[in-house]
Amino acid sequence: MRYASAEVRKQFFIDMFTRDISLEDCVLDLIDNSLDSYLLKHATSISKLVFGPDGNANGDELGKIDVICTERQIKVADTCGGILRRRAMEQVFCFGHDTDDQVGKLGAYGVGMKRALFKIGNNFHIVSRTAQEGFEVSFKLDEWAKKKEWNIPITFIDGAGSERKAGTSITVTDLHEEVALRIKEGGVPKNILNDASTTYPYFLGQCVKLRINDNDVNPTPIKLGELTGVLRAAREKFEQRGVKVTLAATVAPGQRTTEEAGWYVLCNGRVVVRADRTNLTGWGTELASFQPKYRSFVGIASFESDDPLRLPWTTTKRDLNRESAVFIRARALMASMSKPILTFLNSQYASDPTVEVADIRDAVGGVTEISFKDIAEKPTTGFLYTPLKKKEKKSEWVRFQADVSSLAQVRRHLRRPNMGAGEIGKFVLSHYVKTECGE
Amino acid sequence: VNAISSSYRVQYDVRPAKQVERRMLVDALQRLAAAGFPISDYQYTGFSAIYFVDFILFHKILGLSKLVSLEQDVDLTTRMQFNKPFSCIEVKMVSASSEIPNLSRDLRHLVWLDYDGVLQKDFLSDIQSAITILPPGSILLVTVDVEPPEDYDYAIIDPAFNSSKEVLGPKHWKNYFEHHASQYLKLGLSEADFGKSELILRSTEILRAAFTKSIVTRPELQFLPMFNFAYKDSHSMLTMGGMIGGRAEKRNLRTSSVGDAVYYRADFESAPFEIKVPRLTRKERMYLDREMPCPDGWKPGEFDLEPDDVRHYRDIYRFLPAYVEISL
Repeated sequence: MRYASAEVRKQFFIDMFTRDISLEDCVLDLIDNSLDSYLLKHATSISKLVFGPDGNANGDELGKIDVICTERQIKVADTCGGILRRRAMEQVFCFGHDTDDQVGKLGAYGVGMKRALFKIGNNFHIVSRTAQEGFEVSFKLDEWAKKKEWNIPITFIDGAGSERKAGTSITVTDLHEEVALRIKEGGVPKNILNDASTTYPYFLGQCVKLRINDNDVNPTPIKLGELTGVLRAAREKFEQRGVKVTLAATVAPGQRTTEEAGWYVLCNGRVVVRADRTNLTGWGTELASFQPKYRSFVGIASFESDDPLRLPWTTTKRDLNRESAVFIRARALMASMSKPILTFLNSQYASDPTVEVADIRDAVGGVTEISFKDIAEKPTTGFLYTPLKKKEKKSEWVRFQADVSSLAQVRRHLRRPNMGAGEIGKFVLSHYVKTECGE
Repeated sequence: VNAISSSYRVQYDVRPAKQVERRMLVDALQRLAAAGFPISDYQYTGFSAIYFVDFILFHKILGLSKLVSLEQDVDLTTRMQFNKPFSCIEVKMVSASSEIPNLSRDLRHLVWLDYDGVLQKDFLSDIQSAITILPPGSILLVTVDVEPPEDYDYAIIDPAFNSSKEVLGPKHWKNYFEHHASQYLKLGLSEADFGKSELILRSTEILRAAFTKSIVTRPELQFLPMFNFAYKDSHSMLTMGGMIGGRAEKRNLRTSSVGDAVYYRADFESAPFEIKVPRLTRKERMYLDREMPCPDGWKPGEFDLEPDDVRHYRDIYRFLPAYVEISL
């Protein structure tokens, strides 16, 4: 038997592997690792973060993650617990997880950090300390690429001495020319800040404090709404092959922009897809295509698993794997949950504005915020709109097209050339009531 | 959705083929009950219009007492309430798509999406919703009109269509079905595949695909075909349906006697059961009934009747209503 070569080439990882992910998402991958350290150390449950009244019920001190992004360096430093020497020696720098590796919640594939480093620059410096022990790794990508070996030099150092100080710092300098160029062009730190704010609403402030170039990142919560006795959110739950799925769809509270509308998909609490209005979540196929009149629509699909490989995310954590069985089932439910909501929102714009339409608009306007937890807790059900009991009508709209010549006639007759059409309408009606109907 | 509800269009209670279909469903449900399916505890959700014919049958004969009738036309609200024959029927003035996600997950359901129009997108998404949420053991039936789409159906997908200048034909019908069900149609169909007499086949394929496609999302379950009726009172209609079930339901279904019934269809590949109602006088029926069930090839002695009519009559006589005029 002859064998053809089928080996892995380092240059492939360095060049190819980094093309399908944005710079911003690479930095978020590093933040994911910091979060994972925290979750592991404090045994924090994702369910508690997403659905808990307080994700940090134990009163654990918040971890700190500081991101520095300049044209000279990108650095992510945290106090989230640090990496054990043993994991550094055997796992952290490998591509892909080993079967017996301790899995995190956000690191699914074991590529995030390596890919981020390769994408960003040439010179890496990693220092990590748990309370008891520490290690340091420094290397240059171009030199490493020339070597045949796949290992990386590591130095053991002392631990941080206390749990509070334990953490990891990753610094990349000698940035790749195109990365430096993009950062110089401006906007990258701002993008990272915005992305982090919308990606980690269930982590920020609950388990970590995140800063980008010394600016605090505040969570952008996903707002769901209900109106007691009038509007009830749709909710579904199921579990399939170790993945717990919770779905909610409803009308969002407050004034909405079209950019906020759509489905939000969480994998272990991380927002993977934000405000999706594409056929990924059924729009334009199972559902109507998105239109601005649906801007109050909001849905959350949460996928949770102890084994992140079972979740439907892609390696960039910015898209979903459509062939995932659990996502296929969820997607069908998402479509059937959404449809009545779209019909409801659409009915606000009936061509003949009746009292019922006004009630629907009032209901949409009156929606108040309700937490994902409060929705998820209640039994599975569809979206429901129950119009309020009819109030005695005090007034009603009268709208019709009138001949310009008739309006002009009235104006002439009253000698009020500037009288508006609406005013004429009111005047004529009240005149008729007074002169023809009596008391 | 057609602007005119079938409450206005059809005199529901005097459609013999439709009534045969209903009685056959009752028969099938009785057989399922005998095999241990708790049919009388099922919730029935259907479109009764103002006649409630199916509701009366299911309540009186099968003992179903959780009954929900859906009606979209709010102008019919008072008539629906007025005509409701039993207090255990709940009338909901909403569409199926709004109601399906609200169906209880703790009950088994009998859902009959008895549409009176030609297949359209909304029907398919209702099927998907129902199959996605109905608990195992539930039965889903879908009825559609398999006549060619009418001018008003077509105008919805092609606003430029002018019915005074153009007459609809297979080209338009192909457009119509592609608009509403492109993901459900097989590849490579030509205009000839959308000729008038082909439309029942296309509708069958689309519904079959809708059942299969939707159940894929629940790997532990199957859609078990049971019914495939073709019948015609005025319009040609198609009813397909079956049970959402796992292994236990499949086994139970196999042991039940429903498989022996002449109308039963355990797959959607074989031809539908055609409900053909021969035109017979009362006297002829009384004569035939005495010989039923007759052996193959039997012929009435006292009058001539096509062998096909005898065969059709044998299939349906147990289920065929007799209409008489009464003075009230």
